Amino acid sequence: MRKSIYVALIAASTLIAVQSCKKSGSSSSTDNSSSFDNKGMLRNISTNIILPAYTSFQTASVNLDAAVSAFNASPDNTRLLALQTAFQATYKQWQAVSVFEFGPAETATLRVNVNTYPTSVSQISSNISSGTYDLSTFANLSAKGLPAMDYLLFGLGADNSSILLMYTSDAAAANRKAYLAKLSAEIKAAATTVLTGWSTYKATFDASAGTATGSSTSLLINQLVYDYEILKNYEVGVPAGVQSMGTTFPTKVQAYYSKMSVQLAILHIQAIQNIYLGKSTQGDGLGLDDYLVKANAKKDGASLNTTIQNQFAAALAKLQGLTDPLSDQIKTNPAAVTAAYTELQKLTVLLKTDMTSSLGVLITFGDNDGD
Amino acid sequence: MTEINTSKHIAPLVVLRMAFGVIMLISTVRFVLRGWIDAFYIHPKFHFTFYGFGWVKPMGATGMYALFSLLIIAAIFVTIGLFYRTAILLFFLCFTYVELIDKTTYLNHYYFISVMAFLMILVPANRYFSVDVIRNPRIKTIRVPAWTINIFKLQLLLVYLFAGISKLNYDWLIAAMPLRIWLPANSNLPVIGGLLSKLWVAYAFSWCGAVFDLFIGFLLLNPSTRKPAYLMVIIFHLVTAWLFRIGMFPYIMIFVTIIFFSTQTHLKIISVLRKILRAVAGERETPGIPYRLSVSKRNVIYAILILHFTIQALLPFRYLLYPGSLYWTEEGYRFSWRVMLMEKGGTAFFHVKDPETGLQSEIINAQYLTPFQENMMATQPDMILQYAHLLAREYQKKGIKHPVVTAESYVTLNGIGSRLYIDSTVNLTNEKETFDHKKWILPFHRK
Repeated sequence: MRKSIYVALIAASTLIAVQSCKKSGSSSSTDNSSSFDNKGMLRNISTNIILPAYTSFQTASVNLDAAVSAFNASPDNTRLLALQTAFQATYKQWQAVSVFEFGPAETATLRVNVNTYPTSVSQISSNISSGTYDLSTFANLSAKGLPAMDYLLFGLGADNSSILLMYTSDAAAANRKAYLAKLSAEIKAAATTVLTGWSTYKATFDASAGTATGSSTSLLINQLVYDYEILKNYEVGVPAGVQSMGTTFPTKVQAYYSKMSVQLAILHIQAIQNIYLGKSTQGDGLGLDDYLVKANAKKDGASLNTTIQNQFAAALAKLQGLTDPLSDQIKTNPAAVTAAYTELQKLTVLLKTDMTSSLGVLITFGDNDGD
Repeated sequence: MTEINTSKHIAPLVVLRMAFGVIMLISTVRFVLRGWIDAFYIHPKFHFTFYGFGWVKPMGATGMYALFSLLIIAAIFVTIGLFYRTAILLFFLCFTYVELIDKTTYLNHYYFISVMAFLMILVPANRYFSVDVIRNPRIKTIRVPAWTINIFKLQLLLVYLFAGISKLNYDWLIAAMPLRIWLPANSNLPVIGGLLSKLWVAYAFSWCGAVFDLFIGFLLLNPSTRKPAYLMVIIFHLVTAWLFRIGMFPYIMIFVTIIFFSTQTHLKIISVLRKILRAVAGERETPGIPYRLSVSKRNVIYAILILHFTIQALLPFRYLLYPGSLYWTEEGYRFSWRVMLMEKGGTAFFHVKDPETGLQSEIINAQYLTPFQENMMATQPDMILQYAHLLAREYQKKGIKHPVVTAESYVTLNGIGSRLYIDSTVNLTNEKETFDHKKWILPFHRK
């Protein structure tokens, strides 16, 4: 009995070994009709989504820096308006790159450097009044990036004429202009570093197939889930008081001073949705949706992909039902905000648990063994 | 009784001592280098202790690093056979202590290490080819009773057998779960990558894995199949090491299963080592003394072993005492050699409500748990309960007298899709941890 089982075992393993040798010898890597074209998805996402997004963000940051220089050279109402517009364009474009905190962006810790909010007014003020500061310190994370510029460009006064005074007649005007220049220069430098980094990293990203930990798909999905939770918690949940016994924090919204929080949240979820769908200006390419379909992923007997797409639509609809400024909406119509949060919450489960589990992706923001 | 009292050459025991010591040394150093002391035992603010072991606490950075230094030294001493009994006892205690701190890091192979180290305390593995013998040649022993070697074979046999039995279920054999999810994850591997996304390969791996686990122990025991069986051990474990993130486990098994080989093989291993070490170590060629235990000592050891193996044989079946699906409830799941059986994931949202004001809060889990802890907690009811109790304590400190803590956890198991895991209306503050079935776990439905 034991012998025959043993013989069977050897035979089976030999068969597998022979099979694998045959396959590897005769077929190219593209010949996988039954399996998902993982590398094709990575190529689509990097070529048509990630690179264009970073390129636009870098361009926006260059324009922003130029607008700061122009404004600082002679601050007037026209240049302030132009600068505010350039800032809003940059902040909107940021929503499309926030997800990609791996590779070059991870090295540059782009996300916290560019978008840590709520910004610290007191830290900004003390930096400006002292005139000496090191923006790379941990303490200054909440005194720089887009949220700090949001405050400096929209929050210094009730209207533009009073804001303008802070850059002209105010005692600290010179220091403030210098600070503004430092901030926009840092964002531009970071955006440029990451964009340049992608020119070489793209090949690495495209080549790393599979969904094992460390693979590009795993990195992408882990960051997509992480970034989505930032959207859910910090753009909506925390300000709406969901996590604080109903005590609301309207000032903690993203882009509090420029009052475009809802607009940004919508752009953010749309960016994540496009990554999921593999959708870009080049059309609807291979995305995580196709991957799930290929893996035949189910949710309550139905297609998981359909469920996820419907939930994206439901969450998006709820966000679109809100109006800026979100900080006011939280006070006047809290039910609408928490309703949006609830729909966002449902999508969290689908992305974080169902999608990852169906694709064999581990949610590991850290590192550990299994058995 | 030949398997117990026959006098056997000590060589297999000595090789096991060295193999175990070396692999533990490597494991421990690797653990330290990965920064896991900090990540698992210093950084977390809260630890999920085992039921009944709530008193086990980590010692702070200095203490934990000192402890791991001690583990490393103990592993070295075990390997070379210096102060062996003290070293292996120390290793067992320190290692087990670390494992008891937090069930987040529970792995079957950590449990296996504790069990092996425990058994090794009971045997004279240092009485031959060891520094202890060089220090004190009078303890040198050539012949030992068979039980000192056979207990390890029995333990390994049980590990593989139970791992095999646990694979005899619908998901593993008929649905090829979870391998049909896990194998395609490695489709980037050279040579076999493309093959791994084929369904029949998942079935082949599932069935071969089950057959391997069920029979490998017996094939290793049988002298006529031993060599090819050991080759299978090496292939099987190297393949799993290559495909899955299972750390040191495959190498540990490859090392310790050497115990199954004959005395002759072990003597050859020792003689090779002797040649290499000749320059540094000079053990005198004396005939050695027979290994004698006083009757009372022997009886104590026998009693311990009988108790140990009875527990080993019964523990994996304790799940039968619980209603519901084992993989879903995980009641009676641990300490049963259930390895790599589930693709289970979850997301848990906790709510704390003040019944006096009616106000409630969703908890940002990251404020209390590491991502790793949060992940493990979301799918394990006992951890959900522990975390709920932590939240209740925290909110009591904030002035809410009777916080109502509820958990809304969505869990997916082997690709069924996420669904509500536990009753989200139950106030977990009032639920106590016991060995009883947790009634607030929602029943499992495949559809």
